[in-house]
Amino acid sequence: MTAGTWLTDVRATPLRAQQWWVLTTRLIVPSVKTGEVLASILAPAAFTASFYIPLKTVMTFAGTGFSSYAQFMMPIVVLQAAAFTAISAAFRAATDSVAGLNRRFGSMPVGPLVPVAARMSGNIFRLAIALVTAIICGHVIGFRFRLDTVHTIGFLLLAMLIGVALMLGADVIGTVSRSPEATTQALVLPPLIFGMLSTGLAPAHQFPAWVQPFVRNQPVSQFAIGLRALAGDTLGNAGQVTLALMGPPLAWAIGILALCIPLTIRLSSRRA
Amino acid sequence: MALLAERTAAARADAEMSAASLVRHTMIQTHRLLLRWARNPVTLLETLIIPCLLLIMLETVIGGQIRKFTGGSALYGSVPMVTLVGALSGAVAGGVLLGRERDAGLLARFWVLPVHRASGLASRILAEGCRIFAGTLAIILVGYLLGFRFHQGVLATLVFLLIPVLFGLAFATVVTAVAVFTAKATLVEAITILTSLMMFFSTGFVPLAAYPQWIQPIVRNQPMSVAVDAMKALALEGPLARPLTLTLLWSLAAITLFAIPATIGYRRASRR
Repeated sequence: MTAGTWLTDVRATPLRAQQWWVLTTRLIVPSVKTGEVLASILAPAAFTASFYIPLKTVMTFAGTGFSSYAQFMMPIVVLQAAAFTAISAAFRAATDSVAGLNRRFGSMPVGPLVPVAARMSGNIFRLAIALVTAIICGHVIGFRFRLDTVHTIGFLLLAMLIGVALMLGADVIGTVSRSPEATTQALVLPPLIFGMLSTGLAPAHQFPAWVQPFVRNQPVSQFAIGLRALAGDTLGNAGQVTLALMGPPLAWAIGILALCIPLTIRLSSRRA
Repeated sequence: MALLAERTAAARADAEMSAASLVRHTMIQTHRLLLRWARNPVTLLETLIIPCLLLIMLETVIGGQIRKFTGGSALYGSVPMVTLVGALSGAVAGGVLLGRERDAGLLARFWVLPVHRASGLASRILAEGCRIFAGTLAIILVGYLLGFRFHQGVLATLVFLLIPVLFGLAFATVVTAVAVFTAKATLVEAITILTSLMMFFSTGFVPLAAYPQWIQPIVRNQPMSVAVDAMKALALEGPLARPLTLTLLWSLAAITLFAIPATIGYRRASRR
């Protein structure tokens, strides 16, 4: 026995599944206990009410080509629910980052991707609640899935995919920025601009000519077109679910993921 | 010796409690707050840029539809509404700043130094008023570029400029009163949701006729709508007496109800 022997020769091996579970419950349980999770329910409901009630008359006055304004604007409610979840994801990531929790985990026998996986699980939990609420709100104002089960499942999966892409991007931004308040305030503006200047609230031909190219081609409009096609409509103007129509929205979502996943891995494996 | 001590104490008390020092200290502290705001990019963004962008976006997205619907320009509703929204969002930033200065111990520091007790609160009110006024001017400038004009003469224009200041100060009083008795994060979120709802359900967003029958009484009489209607009457035309009276009533009621809790709250925050 020399002076420098360890008590054990076994190195600490991280039990990743268990660690992931512990860190996930750390994010979910408090938010349920404090009622903070209610924000994920209230935000989509407030959003639906504040866009549908005032704009219904004004927007249908000029015509949307859909059987009801609810059927037309449903995608933007879903996307806004996803954006809201993404902003709170950025807030959480920035909080963990500025509090030094990431450095703490980095110095402990925790798998490098476990903290970020747990953060994303907590975010997905909130996203699911927000999406379900959004669809219930849509049902109240008159939105219906007009196509078969496969298309409905496709709608839900596409909404989840977009939400996960936005959340991962927000998580990266929050982790890098290390300032919860500044991140939240900086992220309020993009959803507002992209949401309003999209075909989510009004068809592209109702916009002034100079802004139409942007409106038609930006990601939120493409997401809205894809979701609309998957939901369908009785008047048949929702578009066919073809590769040509679904390509751009999927490409945007997968593109964001392809950009953010390597960044996430780099940020998480960097031992500070 | 005792006499001398008494005299200097009396002189010092006199110096920091006289009306002259109130004016001087208030000016110094107002200067401090305005400098602090001017050098903080986030506040500048909130006060000047976001409202102006919001105005341009509202005009782009729904301006044309409202013109088709009513036959008149939408700017006479949206310019007043955006100035009010700017005033409200600034109040939130001011509340956050107040909380931060309390946590940093700055308020307590002022409390133990020979600074006039009332100057802290008075300077915040003054600085807030200046900030709202500057924001209002910026928004009107953008509105002018879009085609907004004053048709009612100089006096009406001056009253127009003062309404957002009064409205914002009334709201700031409420925020200050609430801020001291609640947690920071939930407060900001709750106020943001409240201001958004006020905006979406006001006559500045879309004309009153576009709202469903059952919600019209609420929309018509809520604080933001009456302020928008009064400002619209002062800039373009329309009945002025009723909305202006209601605006004054709402604002003064808020100030009288919440001034005492706000003062008590400020004292409590200063003595931590």
